[in-house]
Amino acid sequence: MSVELIGYGCFFLTMALTYAIMCLGLNVQWGQTGLFNVGIAGFVAIGAYVSALLTTPDTANRFGGFDMPILVGWLGGALAAAVIAFLIGALTIRLRSDYLAIATFGVAVTVQLCALNLERITGGPFGIGFIPRPFASLAGDPLLFSLFNLGVLIVVITLLYIALERLVRSPWGRVLRAIREDETAALALGKSAVKFRLQAFAIGGGIMGLAGAVQAHFIGFIAPENYLPMLTFQVWAMLIVGGSGNNRGAILGAVLVWGLWAASAGAVAGLFPPGQQARAASLQIVMIGVALCAILLLRPRGILGEEKVVSRHLGKLSSALRVDAKPATPKQ
Amino acid sequence: MSGQVVALSTRALVAGYERDLPIVRGVDLDVKQGELVVVLGPNGAGKSTFVKAIAGLVPIHSGTTALGSLDITTVPAHKKIRHGLAFVPQTENIFGTMSINDNLLLAANILPKEKRARRIAELYAMFPDLAARPSLRAGQLSGGQRQMLAVARALIVEPSVLILDEPSAGLSPKIVSEVFARLKQINETGVTIILVEQNVKAALAIADRAVILVEGRLRHEGPAATLGDDPIVAELYLGARREPKTVTP
Amino acid sequence: MNPQALMDGLITGSMIGLGAIGVTLTYSILRFANFAHGEFISWGAYFALAVSSALGYLSGGLLTPIGPFSFGWSLPISAVVAVALTGGLALVVDALLFGRLRAQRGTVIIMVMASFGAALTLRSLLEFIFTSKPAYYSKALQIALPLGGGLRATPDQMLSLGLAVVLVVAVHLLLTRTAIGRSMRAVSENQQLSGVVGIDVRKVVRTVWVLGAGLACVAGVMAGLLVQIRPYMGFDLLLPLFAAAILGGIGSVPGAMLAGLIVGLAEAFAVQLVGAEWRAAVAFVILVLVLLVRPQGLFGRPE
Repeated sequence: MSVELIGYGCFFLTMALTYAIMCLGLNVQWGQTGLFNVGIAGFVAIGAYVSALLTTPDTANRFGGFDMPILVGWLGGALAAAVIAFLIGALTIRLRSDYLAIATFGVAVTVQLCALNLERITGGPFGIGFIPRPFASLAGDPLLFSLFNLGVLIVVITLLYIALERLVRSPWGRVLRAIREDETAALALGKSAVKFRLQAFAIGGGIMGLAGAVQAHFIGFIAPENYLPMLTFQVWAMLIVGGSGNNRGAILGAVLVWGLWAASAGAVAGLFPPGQQARAASLQIVMIGVALCAILLLRPRGILGEEKVVSRHLGKLSSALRVDAKPATPKQ
Repeated sequence: MSGQVVALSTRALVAGYERDLPIVRGVDLDVKQGELVVVLGPNGAGKSTFVKAIAGLVPIHSGTTALGSLDITTVPAHKKIRHGLAFVPQTENIFGTMSINDNLLLAANILPKEKRARRIAELYAMFPDLAARPSLRAGQLSGGQRQMLAVARALIVEPSVLILDEPSAGLSPKIVSEVFARLKQINETGVTIILVEQNVKAALAIADRAVILVEGRLRHEGPAATLGDDPIVAELYLGARREPKTVTP
Repeated sequence: MNPQALMDGLITGSMIGLGAIGVTLTYSILRFANFAHGEFISWGAYFALAVSSALGYLSGGLLTPIGPFSFGWSLPISAVVAVALTGGLALVVDALLFGRLRAQRGTVIIMVMASFGAALTLRSLLEFIFTSKPAYYSKALQIALPLGGGLRATPDQMLSLGLAVVLVVAVHLLLTRTAIGRSMRAVSENQQLSGVVGIDVRKVVRTVWVLGAGLACVAGVMAGLLVQIRPYMGFDLLLPLFAAAILGGIGSVPGAMLAGLIVGLAEAFAVQLVGAEWRAAVAFVILVLVLLVRPQGLFGRPE
């Protein structure tokens, strides 16, 4: 009995950590650079599919199947996602911040569409299966297998966390912070804000691609329906809850929200008879949507987030948004 | 000339964009009906912030402003004009994407229906340059004409108090004297005018009284006629000290 | 090349255009991309469905098709009611969420994030109440009548197109010749100056929400009538809506409708060329092209 529990726990934590990778990527884009990516699912999907194509054995009707080692797949997936992120960023980075949001949204929609339609490459609605899993030789012993996979995730997260924390404190990270805090001063020193922001966006996108690749190899098969806008929403919810701008917050948020999601799904499903499970799922999402809006209203900085990070992204308030601000009541 | 009734007053006004950073630090001012008062001061003194606070565009932290006997401290910006307080900002003071006529129609909207057309016609008579091409996009007007449109717009509601923030900014000297002559005319019809200005000479030429703001506080005031020669003005503007600084070897 | 694609494109385009007008107005006056706008389309369609069903239940006669159309009087009546209800929904969402975030001096990004959350909530609420099964206003079949030039259209389609034209003209007149329209244009250009001039910006904000949501509702009813009603109908139009609003130039009503028609026609012709499964990508391609070549759109001002 307890073996199953540990097995389930491993599975749960492993999945949560793949989301944590996505959150870390989003944190580079949003927390450190203030860029708003509404197409996370697209970058994750790119990473997953590229990795799958690189590492699966050759199949008859499908392009790809290069049967390469898993690590090559992961790196390839991350690189592909980073390149696409770079291109989309280059297109919109000089424009309004919400244009980037719309463009990334479009990327996610288009990537999912490609995954669905380009059957010869992506396997269409059936997706790609038989993706090699790490430690496949241990597949016979489920407990050991889950533990080793969890171990892989923990190693990846730790390495990523260390690398990102280092990056924040590096000269590159300092320039990014300078640009964020006082762009004019940074520009006066000859630093191109656009270049640094683009690099950050690409790095974040690459990390998301890595997450997709890792997730694909953990589960073993992928299909277009894994990469719906819901995924984007989940990752945003995780980062907001955990604390935007904070790498620890990203990891914490991922585990917490993943847990809450699973728990609420179970709880709500229990309230409904078997035939109404679709309704139950909808209600669960309603609750989560409301919760996210509530967090944005009440505590936009999340659990571990720093107040300063959020207010740094407040930037210049347009006079528009001062309208509803209550006039300060004078002290008598 | 000016009567004894106070048209606009502030008491201990503290204001600023951020709560912990007051720019106006306690200003008492009384402007009598029919006066033309100019607010002077070095850069960063808070002159603009002061009048914007009166107009309701900058948060007031403490103190009060009143229009006559009516306390308008907490009245929202868009309602102040209904009480007769009109404000002409320094920049972006007209709607450039809209026609001259639309700019005036907008302002006239708060008047009762019967009065609108008549009042707009009166303003076109006052400002023939604007009447010449009323459907011209306001953004295509020259600097001086824009200023005229902004003033015309403010006058539509027949305000009792007109506040202008640096109307001479960016205008050539010739246009400045035209604008200022206009303002003097308007003042002579009984409209109380408060003027924030950097162009000390032109402003003092038309003003009754001048006040000097330095670092958010009212440091000096006096009749416009004599203020120009007062050495205190130079001191306040240039930050010259009263006692000479001792030099340590 | 099938000329019918022209008809399909015009019809889809007019729906996209109506929605895009709402998006462009809220975008230019409230200054953020509202990802929940698609939900006003869906909710509008469902409001009309609910009211129409209720009316039909009360009086079967209201369901009898009027003349050549597929629907009875219950639909126009319920459409009018639905417009009011959808406007009300927009006001409620603003009061609960966006208005509060504005008062807290939230940034553009927080507003967009919140709109994303609101969109998800509204969409899932529809799914919860009505399930994802497609619904229809009427089961009556329509015959497409020849229009000449190889084009065919059903009476429903002709009515929808005509209605879209009327609405665009009406909105344009509203914006250019009425006091509230002038106020909206003023707020869109300079919110602070608007307050100085005596405009009650909050009232303008409320008007924009109601107008945008009302137009979205009409688009939803049209889409529901001509295609089908399902919870994702608005969301699926979101990318075309944004593409059209940006192509037309943020703040331009004629631009939004024109751009909507362009997107609709592009989609219809693309479907002919590469197949229906790629329809959703067309809007993205248009968006990328606009951002590359002329980010301010057709009638917008360069930033």
